[in-house]
Amino acid sequence: MQISNLFFIIISAIFINNFVLVRFLGLCPYIGVSKKLDSALGMGMAVIFVMTMASVFTWLINHFFLSPVTGIFNYDLTFLRTITFILSIAVLVQFVEMVIRKSAPELYKALGIYLPLITTNCAVLGVSILNITENYNFIEALLNGMASGVGFTLVLLLMAGMRERLDRAKVPKAFKGMPIAFILAGTMALAFLGFSGLKF
Amino acid sequence: MKAIGEFTKGIIKENPVFIMALGLCPALAVSTSVENAIGMGAAATFVLLGSNLIISLIKNFIPAKIRIPCFILVIASFVTIVDMTMHAYLPPLHKSLGIFIPLIVVNCLILSRAEAFASKNGVGLSILDALGMGIGFTLALVIIATFREILGSGTFLNMQILPQSYKPMIVAILPPGAFFTIGLLMGLFNQLKKKNN
Amino acid sequence: MKNILKPTGILLIICVISSTILSVLYSRTKPIIEANNKAAIEAARKAVLPDAVKESFTAVDVNNIASGQPDFEPDSILFYKGYNQAGELVGFTYKSAGQGYSSSTKVVTMVGINLDLKIDKIKIIKQQETPGLGANCTSTDFTQHFSHKDPSTIKVDKDGGEIKSITGATITTRAVTNSIRDEFLTIKKDMMKQLDKGAE
Repeated sequence: MQISNLFFIIISAIFINNFVLVRFLGLCPYIGVSKKLDSALGMGMAVIFVMTMASVFTWLINHFFLSPVTGIFNYDLTFLRTITFILSIAVLVQFVEMVIRKSAPELYKALGIYLPLITTNCAVLGVSILNITENYNFIEALLNGMASGVGFTLVLLLMAGMRERLDRAKVPKAFKGMPIAFILAGTMALAFLGFSGLKF
Repeated sequence: MKAIGEFTKGIIKENPVFIMALGLCPALAVSTSVENAIGMGAAATFVLLGSNLIISLIKNFIPAKIRIPCFILVIASFVTIVDMTMHAYLPPLHKSLGIFIPLIVVNCLILSRAEAFASKNGVGLSILDALGMGIGFTLALVIIATFREILGSGTFLNMQILPQSYKPMIVAILPPGAFFTIGLLMGLFNQLKKKNN
Repeated sequence: MKNILKPTGILLIICVISSTILSVLYSRTKPIIEANNKAAIEAARKAVLPDAVKESFTAVDVNNIASGQPDFEPDSILFYKGYNQAGELVGFTYKSAGQGYSSSTKVVTMVGINLDLKIDKIKIIKQQETPGLGANCTSTDFTQHFSHKDPSTIKVDKDGGEIKSITGATITTRAVTNSIRDEFLTIKKDMMKQLDKGAE
């Protein structure tokens, strides 16, 4: 395993193949929770945490149970991938919520309301499936999960910062709210296309 | 009369994509061509129909506490069915929709219909609701894809419709084009809604 | 206790029912999917080496790894021999894979090689490149550039070679070109051996 390879995975997940702007994953929270900067930060932190944990868990499940080569059943159970992944993500989110509530009430107050929303954030299931289809090993999957979460948080924060300003701008009535947010996202996506030059 | 309303509301008045902003990820990601849009719309409609049907049937047996996991299980099963069937019988479409087939599971449209409608209504109405929402979703995808495919490749359903001399506006099928298209269309829908009121 | 048992039981029942249905469907669709994949590969072989008869392709097992396992196809070590109606060797086909623009899917190319070790035709059999840019690599406008070229020396024009790169998609062009060349160089010796055998 090469360090440069790991470095490339991180850069790629944050900038080149940004989850929101290039892969179109996690759009609902991106548009829904980006109205205020501090709630965006809370959501972003929760997503980084859950995406990293989910990458680890689903990778282990795939490796030890579902895969026909390395699994303990020696049988190709990959057709159950979607169902097991989404269930384990749901369980994981519940579990994380309980642990945080008990051990870190401060953190729970900050993240609390965002945690349940994450189960249906397609970025989490997306990163789990991508880890498998890209044949990542354990370390790569972990890093990819974390970096993808960071990429998500980055654009979420940028978006929230801009939308706070946008509130004071004069926007045609029909475009108030979501439509103008999408146009804004489009210009951001244009900017992120520039990162594609980082490759090679 | 009520039944007809449940069916038609999803198509325009409560259009899942343009008005309620649900299921945005697939709406943007696979709308690079009309063919993909129809495939995705059909797949999501099937899952929506199946999950609404089953959930409205079993809603009385499920304790309220665990209803969300149960809904997700039902939805995930239908998604896997679509995934495998499509892989076997429509391999090219399966290839171009790629990761977005398993991701139908987390399409917020489907879970929200299960939670907001099927778990409270009977079988008949739930099916009508699913059909209406599914058609509305497909329609929205096809509209977005029509703009993007015509501008970005000069084709419609892979048929050349703009003259060969037209230089395709490639940005329309790149990610930014998706955001611009849906932003402009949402604004248009808002304007139309205001006029009607 | 009862509060836990009932929900768990219901969840379990749903799990069992759905995984039973899925495994039945899986066993039904698996052979069809495999047959489709096989047919697609065979069609691609025929397309890049049109002189050969479709049924005539036989695997050349360089490292003896895949012996006795016709379905097992490691990407790197195999190439195929193709024969015409009269049973004469007309050329070889091999698959090459290169990292293109999409991080999850490599660009996979099927290459046909004539007896004079020049490229007959190529066909892109798998890619997830950007629509409108890299995805244009599947068009014959691009693939025809490769015909009658010497695979051991091909290079993209930006690297001082003769392959004209696709507009806005040098990375994709390079992935295709370099993977064809590198793969050819690894199996060239074994191909020559096969040629000598054919001459005997």
